[in-house]
Amino acid sequence: MRFNRPTWSRRLGVSLVVALTGLVFGTYQVAKAESLTAEELMSRALELTRGTSSYSELVMRIQRPDWNRSSTIVAWTRGQDEALIRFTAPAKDAGNAVLKKGEKMWTFAPALKRSIRLPSSMMSQSWGGSDFSYNDLSRSDELLRYYDLSVVETTVEDGHTIYTIDAVPHDDAPVVWGKETMVVRDDYVMLSQTYFDQSMTPIKRLETQRVAELGGRTIGVLMRMSNLEEPQEWTEIEYVEADFDADVADRKFTLFSLTSGR
Amino acid sequence: MSLVKVGQLAWRNLWRQRRRNVTMLVALSFAVMGVVFLNAFLRGMTAQMADSAVNNMQGHVKVLQPGYLDDPGIDKSFVLESEWSPEIPAGQMQGWARRVRVPAVIMSERETRGIELIGIDPAQESISFVADWTIEGEGLQGPDDRRILVGKSLAEQLETVAGRRLVIITQGADGRSREAGYRIAGTYQSEASAVEKLYVFTGIEAAQALLASDAVTEVSVRLTDAKHQPTVLESLIATFIGLNVFTWQTLEPMAAAMMQMSDAMIYILFIIIMTALVFGLVNTVVTAIMERYREIGMLRALGMRAGAVLLQIVAESTLIMLLGVAIGTAAGGGLCLWLSDGIDLSAFAEGLEGFGMASSVLVPMILPADVVFVVVASVVMGIVASFFPALRAVRLNPLEAMRH
Repeated sequence: MRFNRPTWSRRLGVSLVVALTGLVFGTYQVAKAESLTAEELMSRALELTRGTSSYSELVMRIQRPDWNRSSTIVAWTRGQDEALIRFTAPAKDAGNAVLKKGEKMWTFAPALKRSIRLPSSMMSQSWGGSDFSYNDLSRSDELLRYYDLSVVETTVEDGHTIYTIDAVPHDDAPVVWGKETMVVRDDYVMLSQTYFDQSMTPIKRLETQRVAELGGRTIGVLMRMSNLEEPQEWTEIEYVEADFDADVADRKFTLFSLTSGR
Repeated sequence: MSLVKVGQLAWRNLWRQRRRNVTMLVALSFAVMGVVFLNAFLRGMTAQMADSAVNNMQGHVKVLQPGYLDDPGIDKSFVLESEWSPEIPAGQMQGWARRVRVPAVIMSERETRGIELIGIDPAQESISFVADWTIEGEGLQGPDDRRILVGKSLAEQLETVAGRRLVIITQGADGRSREAGYRIAGTYQSEASAVEKLYVFTGIEAAQALLASDAVTEVSVRLTDAKHQPTVLESLIATFIGLNVFTWQTLEPMAAAMMQMSDAMIYILFIIIMTALVFGLVNTVVTAIMERYREIGMLRALGMRAGAVLLQIVAESTLIMLLGVAIGTAAGGGLCLWLSDGIDLSAFAEGLEGFGMASSVLVPMILPADVVFVVVASVVMGIVASFFPALRAVRLNPLEAMRH
């Protein structure tokens, strides 16, 4: 069996699901995060997504030294446990889809005409040729479960308080990283997330490159995951359309929906 | 005519054709030496293959849940009572171990690999290669040690070192995937890099905790001598009703087949080499007879009995054969002794791994039974081969022979 290297973090899950879920960091001009602990900061950011359902259209751009590719994706989500993500372009990839329900994940490829439940050994493989792994799609609240969080720096920029949070995984946590560092704005927009290996060398970074209002909320609409060891490699995700609190039918998150495309 | 006289006569006759007979003697000695050494080499190789197989986590006899071999996992397990130990007479068993072995996936920051997670009680592992591996860092301290030991090659592939954390993902008893982070206690070195890349060890209780199970997947028994295998096999079959009890030969059919093959090879090689030589010997005997037609006729005419003539000729070839076997066996034995530190085969290590030989140093092994076989079979072949030409000499008409 060959395993692809999980070029991107697993914990990326937080960020990507967050992103795909339309997990809105911010917008809600909720109580400004003043004198909050690191745990509260992170959990509030995550709390925002609970119970929301969304429909969004995204563009994913994969950059490699020899080639690059741009795909369009539609995604439906509900809460943190249910998601259906489908490629719509280019034609070669159109119809490829992933269904997530709780811990389980299935993929569907029109060429094969069947859905496959992903075994745990495949969860670390690349999703759709990008640098995101299936794990990245399926993880959600691990930052709270497996890490010790602490605010290491607080700065003020453009009227926003910016918190830098260090996340150090527990000793028995299923986490390969040495630590992660998140930069969160006081309206809960995650500005960056950096992954360090266990010798504390940064390996990759997810950065929010543009924050804008979309679907009625202020979110990071353009995010780039860069491989810090391979400067020529990155994957960008950009929101084109988003409808938060969209009404998504139950049947959207079923195997039938996955395979039928409806 | 006494046997001593016949022997004396044969011995002196040999010395009449010194060059020819010494050449024959040297050829015989070399052949016997080759056969003795080859036997020892093959015996050493098979013994080592058997040892590797037993050492490589198999033991002589192993208990498994039916179906485990086809689809290993914690669902194919069985529960051992806490104080259980095999009822095998002391002196027959070298040791036994209970283990949990499941397929798993291991991840570092950069790499992911498929491995086999083995939960062991380090105190019980005197029976496997675990007993004599070298460890960089620390070893496992007990069955509840929840750190892991990874092979040196695997650590290199994963780009990690002792003290770092790796994530292991596997399937629990309930069929759901389980994962946890484990600190690397140390890295072990084994003689086979395939082993280093495959086996990851942790304490058996730590493995059971991950899998949410109190069962084991195997019990492995190592004996003091392979000859106790059948009785122990039977006693374990009687103990573990409903489970599979296998010998290592069943579990490692390749190695077992190789062993049988080299057993046969010892005899085939002997027959080929010695047959070629015996034709040389026959040739010598025939020449010796043809040279001595007159002489044989004379002896017969003087009243030497046919039996004595026959005996004398057979004695000549038997003497050469005996001498050749003696020198050859001594030389072969000496060669084995000289190489008793082992023959370095590390240049072929990778190929040998394929044959189930973990060690790249091969120690020739002389079995007394093999030497006896070579000696007896050679002498018998020598006698039989010279018998027919000798018979022809006896049938000569003395008058005609003397006129020759």
